[in-house]
Amino acid sequence: MADNAKSIKTGDFLPLSDVDRTHLDSEKIAAPSLTFLQDSWRRLRHSKAAMICLVILVILFILSFGSGLFQTHNPNATNPDLANLPPKIPGIDINGFNGTIMQSGTRINAYAQAHAHAGTYYILGTDYLGRDLFSRILFGTRISLTIALVASFFDLAFGVVYGIISGWLGGWVDTLMQRIIEIILSIPNLIVMVLLIVVLKPGMSAIIIAIAITSWVNMARLVRAQTLELKNQEFVLAARTLGESSFKIAFKHLLPNLASVIIINLMFTIPTAIFFEAFLSYIGIGVSAPQASLGTLISDGQKNFQFLPYQMWYPAIVLSIIMIAFNILGDGLRDAFDPKSNRK
Amino acid sequence: MKINSIAKLGGVVLLSALVLAGCGSKSSQSGSKKQELRWQESSNLPTMDLSKATDQVSAETLNATNEGLLKMSTNAKVTPGVAKNYTVSKDGKTWTFNLRHSKWSDGTPVTAKDFVYSWQRTLTPKTASQYAYIFDHIKNATKVNAGKAPVSSLGVKADGDYKLVVTLNRPQSYFKYLVANAEFFPQKESAVKKYGSKYGTQSKYMVYNGPFKLTGWNGTNDSWTMVKNNDYWNKKNIKLDKMKIIVSKDPSTTLNQYNTNKLDAITLSGSQQVSHYKNDKDYKSYLNASTFYLEMNQKKDPVLRNVNIRKAISMSINRKQLTNKVFADGSVPARGLVAAKMAYRNGKDYADQAEVKSADSQNLAEAKKLWAKGLKETGKKSVSLNLLSDDTPAGKNSTEFLQSQLTKLPGLKITNQNLPFKTRLQRSQDGNFDLVISAWIADFPDPISFLSLFTSDNSYNNGKWKNSEYDTLVKNAEGKDALNAGKRWDDMVQAQKVLMNNQGIVPLYQQSTPKLINSKVKGVQFFPTAPEWDWSKVSIK
Amino acid sequence: MAKYLGKRIFYIILTLFIVTTVTFFLMKFMPGTPLTNQAKLSPSQIHQIYKQYGLDKPLWQQYLTYLAGAVHGNFGTSYQFSDQPVSYLISSRLGPSLTIGGEAMVVGVLIGIIVGSIGAVKQNTWIDTTATILSILGVSIPSFVLAVLLQYYLGLKLRLFPIADWGGFMYTVLPTLALAASPFAETARFMRTEMVDVLSSDYIELAKAKGLNKTGIIYHHALRNSLIPIVTIVGPLAVNIMTGSMVVENIFSIPGIGEQFVKSILTNDYPTIMGLAIVYCAMLCVVLLITDILYGLIDPRIRINK
Repeated sequence: MADNAKSIKTGDFLPLSDVDRTHLDSEKIAAPSLTFLQDSWRRLRHSKAAMICLVILVILFILSFGSGLFQTHNPNATNPDLANLPPKIPGIDINGFNGTIMQSGTRINAYAQAHAHAGTYYILGTDYLGRDLFSRILFGTRISLTIALVASFFDLAFGVVYGIISGWLGGWVDTLMQRIIEIILSIPNLIVMVLLIVVLKPGMSAIIIAIAITSWVNMARLVRAQTLELKNQEFVLAARTLGESSFKIAFKHLLPNLASVIIINLMFTIPTAIFFEAFLSYIGIGVSAPQASLGTLISDGQKNFQFLPYQMWYPAIVLSIIMIAFNILGDGLRDAFDPKSNRK
Repeated sequence: MKINSIAKLGGVVLLSALVLAGCGSKSSQSGSKKQELRWQESSNLPTMDLSKATDQVSAETLNATNEGLLKMSTNAKVTPGVAKNYTVSKDGKTWTFNLRHSKWSDGTPVTAKDFVYSWQRTLTPKTASQYAYIFDHIKNATKVNAGKAPVSSLGVKADGDYKLVVTLNRPQSYFKYLVANAEFFPQKESAVKKYGSKYGTQSKYMVYNGPFKLTGWNGTNDSWTMVKNNDYWNKKNIKLDKMKIIVSKDPSTTLNQYNTNKLDAITLSGSQQVSHYKNDKDYKSYLNASTFYLEMNQKKDPVLRNVNIRKAISMSINRKQLTNKVFADGSVPARGLVAAKMAYRNGKDYADQAEVKSADSQNLAEAKKLWAKGLKETGKKSVSLNLLSDDTPAGKNSTEFLQSQLTKLPGLKITNQNLPFKTRLQRSQDGNFDLVISAWIADFPDPISFLSLFTSDNSYNNGKWKNSEYDTLVKNAEGKDALNAGKRWDDMVQAQKVLMNNQGIVPLYQQSTPKLINSKVKGVQFFPTAPEWDWSKVSIK
Repeated sequence: MAKYLGKRIFYIILTLFIVTTVTFFLMKFMPGTPLTNQAKLSPSQIHQIYKQYGLDKPLWQQYLTYLAGAVHGNFGTSYQFSDQPVSYLISSRLGPSLTIGGEAMVVGVLIGIIVGSIGAVKQNTWIDTTATILSILGVSIPSFVLAVLLQYYLGLKLRLFPIADWGGFMYTVLPTLALAASPFAETARFMRTEMVDVLSSDYIELAKAKGLNKTGIIYHHALRNSLIPIVTIVGPLAVNIMTGSMVVENIFSIPGIGEQFVKSILTNDYPTIMGLAIVYCAMLCVVLLITDILYGLIDPRIRINK
């Protein structure tokens, strides 16, 4: 039986038919090849909460930075006669949005009392100088976001460079740079910020510098750790062997691979910066009048919270929404960038 | 004031009949109400060392726990304190105080030596007192303070234990107000020596001779107590047993504390609190002796030397809107340089007599007319000025408001500059400004404390406004008419009129303290100048 | 261990030295003076006051004096409290701050651990979602907003707790809650992540395979092993509490150092600012040192022997 060679039939060596071909293709990678970032984006899109937050942030950015188009009044124009008016939205007659307010137990029409013209509407009310709160919140959001973004940019620029240099060079340079970081870490951020602001005179630039100077440390540590890991991987070794300059390696090979760490960390730096700006403005050494940030608006509103709760509620809500959105987006990004994290 | 009219008759006059003001004949407490007052402060008590105290809380606490020769009373009057009575010599330079037999809280007697020691201590250069200047009328005070004369040469001497003789350089009719201030209170030498560097830093490192004793103050805490001093000579008229002082800095918290009956008296802060409570039965606004005004730099800007320009600036400002709408904290429009409801003569308020209506009220049409005239006279088409003020909320609100008002004058451009207090002060003194919002708080309730600012050579005359008539009037009030109360008063009234008619400054507003005081609390006394608050007549009904 | 400790203490001293030096020279750039009524003083009077505060000496001499003093815990005299040494000012106000700070830390971390582990155990259920929302809110709502809301609703409206002031446990409740939000949220988030990791690790699978009951697994294995890394975030949490205390103390009228720090900034009381900056750094250094040592002691995988 075993000696019986199988007889070759015709057709055994025929070229593949189309049907056979499709059968064979199932072995191939069907999905289009995705880069790391594309893949992450795909993962991020599956996180509903993160996407909602992203949309909210985009809307807030557009509203605040395009606030010239949306604001209903000049945010800095004072109008003492129309001070402290409650919110009034055309066509809505619900207490809280119809321009009435409780005063000594009775609900009165504050707009009529202030002799405002019939067509006067402040959709979020006015502050103690008669400035439109809605416009001021938009304006304040813009200031808060600007401070956070600029500070984060410095944080990014300085922290990443510091981290890469420290990790890449290694040796005594790394040791020294790490000791410096350790020392900085044992000084409370706020102390450094406060001292700097006191010296630099309160104002936007002082806050930006103060936040930038204190926030890069975390970024530098994470980037360094990641660099150390990457440094010994084959593709970097290969690039080195091929004689690429360190600078080129850092830019072409390290940075793209550091992207996830950097972006995630940035998502947590921004809300921290926003918080510190609000905090500093709240205690009175932040953005100076007539400019407003969310912190100064909350601080002003807090003084009148018993009588005009809306003056604190609205800026506080906006601030909290920004913080929540950045935090959830940051969580979402972390999950998205981390292929190990279990997806539903 | 009484002193001067009698002194005019000639001879040394004895004023022994300084009767106690106030109603205190009932010594027994009426009703069963707990005689305890809970009072809010918005800042801490920094020190009880009266040679070093500079702030409001120290001043009022010292006034409650200690007592000087005389006591400040309402309507710019003084009542006897440690001194039963006093006499003033014919030339007005020698003041003799006869002291009553009273005691320190440790039981030892208060003597004239305690006053001599206290004043000498304040003026000793080593003490570095920041209020030493207030003694400058006393003989040799300036020299002693500069270390150029021995402390013993100071013009204050004890004649026995109960007579104090003060020698002045020149007559000072308002010296009676000064001795009612905390800086002139007695200090017990043995206590100062005993406690050394700890003296006045905690309630236990002090002795008291006033209506109350301080307890429970560790130097830095946020609440302390004052209890009735049983060694006080007038204790039968003190009805309050205990006062609890609580430092509450956050305005909302403070109001919440009041509304939940944790505090009996608080200071309101901000327009909303005031407008919400201004019709409340507990609300009261107390006018301070502090005026805010605009100085115009006549040295730097030739255009501001023109009187029509200055008048136009003043007339363009709606002060009512500033105080009622922008601040809305009880402040009132200023009616001149000298604060209203501070100084009186024969029951008449100085501010009523010396007001120049056109110089402190708005008249936009007239302002534009004068402005045009002024521009023509100076040959300018447009003027651009820098407006300087503090970087406090009030400072910023003022500059924003003034900018909106002044720019109603055609061709006037205003740029605002808000700087920290000390920088602003330096700039003002260096003459590095066009327009600056300045403020003055009187140390004692006499118009001269304001008027002396704008003589040609005064260092606080930042705008360098000069007027020889004004200089003469102020000089006469301080010099040749110093002993003639009527003439002196007329000089001072005339002086403000000259200042206002020439618009040497632009008066803006007078500050006030808006308060909520529970209606069961009776007899809280307020003075427009330090110590401001006096609780010695308080009772709880 | 001794070598490690020595090294750490050396770094702490170095840090404090740097902080002292930098703060000192930064503050010297400032126009602040101890003068409170500058407008009414003559130059000779100003000179006397400067002399009393040692401000008439050359800068290097002032620096050396300050440094020598700081070593002995003497930070000069406050500008605001004219005769009060800064060291006394700080020590007499430290108690209330430590009390509410400590309470907030304990409460926040404990609740955080509980909420975080429940979230991890009930992963992807509504309980987990609620826990996550709570912790997100905790990091997102600033303490100063929370403090105002707590005071208004729990203090004024419901009258559950005193609105403000200091004097007994009840007075610490609201400020503690306001301060505890941030450590709670951070701990809960951290705990959940740790716990999820641990729950999916091999030894838990083994324990399950051995048939141990669920509570036993969670309690004996998962919880214990997730708890250890919590120690590492205590330092950052302490910083959050310090930051928060500066406004929370002000809102609740607590006689602490946080409120004093803000006050001294606003009144340009430079000796107090410097003293408090150094004290804050020292406190953080000590917290970090203790947590590092603790971590080494409780986690057998880490040995401090370098």
